[in-house]
Amino acid sequence: MRTYELMFVVDPRVSDEDVVTMTQEYRNMIASGGSTITAEENWGRRKLAYTIDKLNEGKYVLFYVSSETGKTALPEVEHRMRQNDKILRYLTVRTDEDLKRAARRQPAAGTTPPPPGESTSPAAAEIGPDEEEV
Amino acid sequence: MGRARKVFFRRRKVCKFCADKIDYIDYKDVKLLQQFIPERSKILPRRISGTCANHQRPLQQAIKRARHLALIPFTTD
Ligand SMILES: [Zn+2]
Repeated sequence: MRTYELMFVVDPRVSDEDVVTMTQEYRNMIASGGSTITAEENWGRRKLAYTIDKLNEGKYVLFYVSSETGKTALPEVEHRMRQNDKILRYLTVRTDEDLKRAARRQPAAGTTPPPPGESTSPAAAEIGPDEEEV
Repeated sequence: MGRARKVFFRRRKVCKFCADKIDYIDYKDVKLLQQFIPERSKILPRRISGTCANHQRPLQQAIKRARHLALIPFTTD
């Protein structure tokens, strides 16, 4: 199973309702493309570390996506995001290999050997409640 | 000999990721990544941060990702 994260940053002038609409469209695309959204985070409005198009803030949304077959609609979603000038940034990251590698390294480090079947649990479990500064 | 007296540079002797057993360096962990980009746009060189070769690459990748998403700055000024 492959897992991915897709994070995107929306122009802060876009209303929350419209962010919901956009998000729903991407969600539908991902779901119809043979992959599943296992978790979602809405970080809301957040200060950008640098200005983008003279904007200081963005609205951050994050999808955790998994795919049994390795087939996803993520390229199509990215294409759609590229065409949308309300999307300031987006990034897809494949996470399963790095998570697996990290899980494998754990027993070597010494103490607790991980239960065998569980190294491929959803990426969301990795994240936990991330505190965000406003 | 009164030159080059004190250089206050906090030097880490061991790799933070090895020491803290962080095997997955998350691009979303802004607080963690910020420790490795103290000034300007530079990523701290390994000889100063102490990051081991195994962790430097994923660290750089995480920083690159976080920068792209404007989670951390390219330059600090
Ligand atoms: Zn290390």
